[in-house]
Amino acid sequence: MHGFPAKAADHVLQASTTAGDCWHQLFSFSINLPAGLVATAQTRFNGALMELFIQRCFDGMFTGAIYASLALAIVMIYRSTGLLNFAQGEMGLMGGYVALTLLSPAGSTGIGIPIAGTAFLSRWLPLHPWPTWAAILGAVAFGALLGAVIERFIMRPLADRSSLSQVNVTIGLLILINGIVFQIWGSFSRRVKSPFPTGKDDYFGIFGARLRYTTVGVWATLLVVIVLLSLLIQKTKTGLAFRAITSNREGAALVGVPVSRTLTIGWAIASAIGALAAALVGGAITLNPLTMLNLLIYALAAATIGGLDSPRGAIAGGLIIGLTQSLAPPYLGIPTELTLLPPLAAMVLALTVRPHGLFGTVPVNRV
Amino acid sequence: MSINSRINGDEAGAPPVLGTKQIGRGAKISLAVLTLAVLIPPFVTTSLELTKLSRLVVLVLAVLGVNLLTGYTGLISLGHGVFVGVGAFAMANFIDQGFSLYIAGFLATVFTGLIGLVLGLPALRVRGLYLALVTFGTALAFPPFARRLGTWTGGVSGRNVENDAFVPPSFLGLDDHVHVWRYGICIAVVALWFIVIRNLVNSRMGRALRAVRDNESAAATFGISVRYAKAGALAISAAMTGTAGVLQAILNPYVSHADFDSFLSLRLYAAAVIGGLGTLAGAIYGVLALIVVPAVNGAFELLDSDAIVFGAGLIIMTFIAPTGIAGLFEGRGRGKSSTP
Repeated sequence: MHGFPAKAADHVLQASTTAGDCWHQLFSFSINLPAGLVATAQTRFNGALMELFIQRCFDGMFTGAIYASLALAIVMIYRSTGLLNFAQGEMGLMGGYVALTLLSPAGSTGIGIPIAGTAFLSRWLPLHPWPTWAAILGAVAFGALLGAVIERFIMRPLADRSSLSQVNVTIGLLILINGIVFQIWGSFSRRVKSPFPTGKDDYFGIFGARLRYTTVGVWATLLVVIVLLSLLIQKTKTGLAFRAITSNREGAALVGVPVSRTLTIGWAIASAIGALAAALVGGAITLNPLTMLNLLIYALAAATIGGLDSPRGAIAGGLIIGLTQSLAPPYLGIPTELTLLPPLAAMVLALTVRPHGLFGTVPVNRV
Repeated sequence: MSINSRINGDEAGAPPVLGTKQIGRGAKISLAVLTLAVLIPPFVTTSLELTKLSRLVVLVLAVLGVNLLTGYTGLISLGHGVFVGVGAFAMANFIDQGFSLYIAGFLATVFTGLIGLVLGLPALRVRGLYLALVTFGTALAFPPFARRLGTWTGGVSGRNVENDAFVPPSFLGLDDHVHVWRYGICIAVVALWFIVIRNLVNSRMGRALRAVRDNESAAATFGISVRYAKAGALAISAAMTGTAGVLQAILNPYVSHADFDSFLSLRLYAAAVIGGLGTLAGAIYGVLALIVVPAVNGAFELLDSDAIVFGAGLIIMTFIAPTGIAGLFEGRGRGKSSTP
């Protein structure tokens, strides 16, 4: 660290400094830039700094995998329907809370307040405090159901409306689902039990840095999701229908592809992936009603960088955002509260340099 | 018919805009109702209630800002809460610099417009929803960012605004009713912006905006600079939203980053859609929703937050009344949506 956060805290305390100081406060990461570069250069020689660098890369890869999975869900919907689903994160959030409820014993208290629904579930659901993996699978199933229901009863009736109407509805869903989660489970930060071993010694030591089992586990999960998804899309009839719709929706409908049913399945899968991401985040950090809002913007940034219509791009973008987020603050001296800035800056940069993303296709517009 | 009238929407069946035709009897009646609704509160409320009401009323500007951007230009902004915040903080700081209140308010408005332009330019290069992404990200990043800039924003605890000079001139005899004077100023500023926007949307630029909304490529073919049109709409929209922040800073001489969280932006967007996109009256109905929903909710203690009502309202209105409450009142709520 460069002693910057402490200095800034002083600034916050003494509110009566001059505007000149304020500029310094805002842009001191650029003043710190040379120091940051020096630090990166030193990693080649200094073992401890090298360790720290690798460690930060691992951390970035962990969050990157989660962003990538949510970005993948967004890209799936965007490819098939041309709709940017702003509710993707919140649909996952609800799944995450379902996982939490499924695996917590009745009346269990996170921080003094019982988790809503646990008492009810332990009464009516067999074997209620489910093991972690079962609970996450349950959440994934719930996510799929939620996605299917939303597609069937909200999005499908609006299929021939303007795209603005449809986007408005997803924004409405974002607000609505967030409100419902807040209403049911409250605003407390909850920790979902992680499905991977999170003990103190559960890591691979690589060059002195710790590659935690959780990181490996999340990447393995993401890999499984990608493999399953590509198998589904390449090998099954539903996948074929999905590809047909993606390439030409009207044409697909004309040759008898069941467009509506396939889209329902698509929404179910995307929503299930979101629920998985939320459950994993809850295991790694915490879950509160705002978690997925931040995650959504990271995922959207990832999808933008990779190209909104490219699954490959979503994975790459997720990784880029994750690494930016874990590497930029320490080496550029950006204070930790502002972790949202580097991904945003990356997104703006991507929009400036490559507006349609790394792997995205440049659309052709007809009048 | 000329190209202009076609873009104007008179033939294409786009929603008629208040003021594109002569003001009819219905409009006169609603104007009278509105005037009454504005005049009554000072007589029936306490000073605290009136200040609270004023703080919501000035949000008409923010909702109208969203409306100008989304309803008239077809761009989505999920970050208008940020512009309210920038306006409020800018106001506080311009006052600190020794400007008089009115000049400070003007400068803060212009400043917010510039900020909006800077934020939006990268996103406006590309067609699509990128402005929504960038503004949404900004809305999430703004509170921690403002917390960080302690000198300008008071950091974690917020800061005071030196609005002592904001007292009524003595000949009005309102010395003991400062809140009424402030309410009046707010209404006047809001009305001024309304007239400006009304003239704007009926002008050449307004037609250009709607053309861009309906078909960018066609608009470009007609010689409209799509980029300038979008940038101009964004700057004006941000500026008027900044004015809402300026007025809030005057009404409540304490501004804090916590007042401008991402849910303010989402609520403003929901209000604009619920009220009715693409009509000026929509902004007023939208703010009525912003006033009524929390009041009812607070009175009956139904829900922990209003988010459910706004979210559900947004979805339901899209289904039953795509043109919002304004469209319902004009008797064409049902049927084909002609809003973008």
